[in-house]
Amino acid sequence: MASETVENCSSHDPLLDIDSSDSSFGVKSDEYLELQFRVFRLTFLLTIFSVCIAGFFWGIQASASLFIGALSGIFYFRLLARGVGRLGTSSKIVGKVQLLVPVLLVLVSSRFPQLDLIPALLGFLLYKPALIIQFLSMP
Amino acid sequence: MDSITTAASVVAAGLAVGLGAIGPGIGQGSAAQGAVEGIARQPEAEGKIRGTLLLSFAFMESLTIYGLVVALVLLFANPFAG
Repeated sequence: MASETVENCSSHDPLLDIDSSDSSFGVKSDEYLELQFRVFRLTFLLTIFSVCIAGFFWGIQASASLFIGALSGIFYFRLLARGVGRLGTSSKIVGKVQLLVPVLLVLVSSRFPQLDLIPALLGFLLYKPALIIQFLSMP
Repeated sequence: MDSITTAASVVAAGLAVGLGAIGPGIGQGSAAQGAVEGIARQPEAEGKIRGTLLLSFAFMESLTIYGLVVALVLLFANPFAG
């Protein structure tokens, strides 16, 4: 009885019809990819600006740590975006693999004396200002 | 590092990760549920829903990362180690 009702709803209600072969599917994916590229671009710009500032004021070691942290932040965001992109299609949950990136960053920066921990963490968090800018510029 | 400092650091690291992951975990679950429901109801808005979900997830997961970083600093770069 209940399954019949669900079948009737899914076959007749256009709002519940989730056919992935919809012709606008490519447009939707493009929109999501475009958002990712905008965030990556903003993060790269912020990274270049911050690395230059850090190199000028605090030296090459802090600058290199900031750069490595920013690269790992971009990688973390890429993994998160891939997990969100898979949600609902090939996966039911968003994976937690991306959380390994800050773990590895802290481990590497605490093991190698050439890297500083604080600039690396600040560099890792550089994707957040890019997200805030993107969030504020959304219509 | 004496044994009391070591024990307190390990307990604090566990609490930082465990307690710090509760809130974002609940929030991410409800956000993902709402997003999947929204995509099912309105497939033409999938791109916008996924984009908003990605931004929300990034903000929520950063709270977990803060706790994770505190725990890792306590374990591997402890400032209280004599």
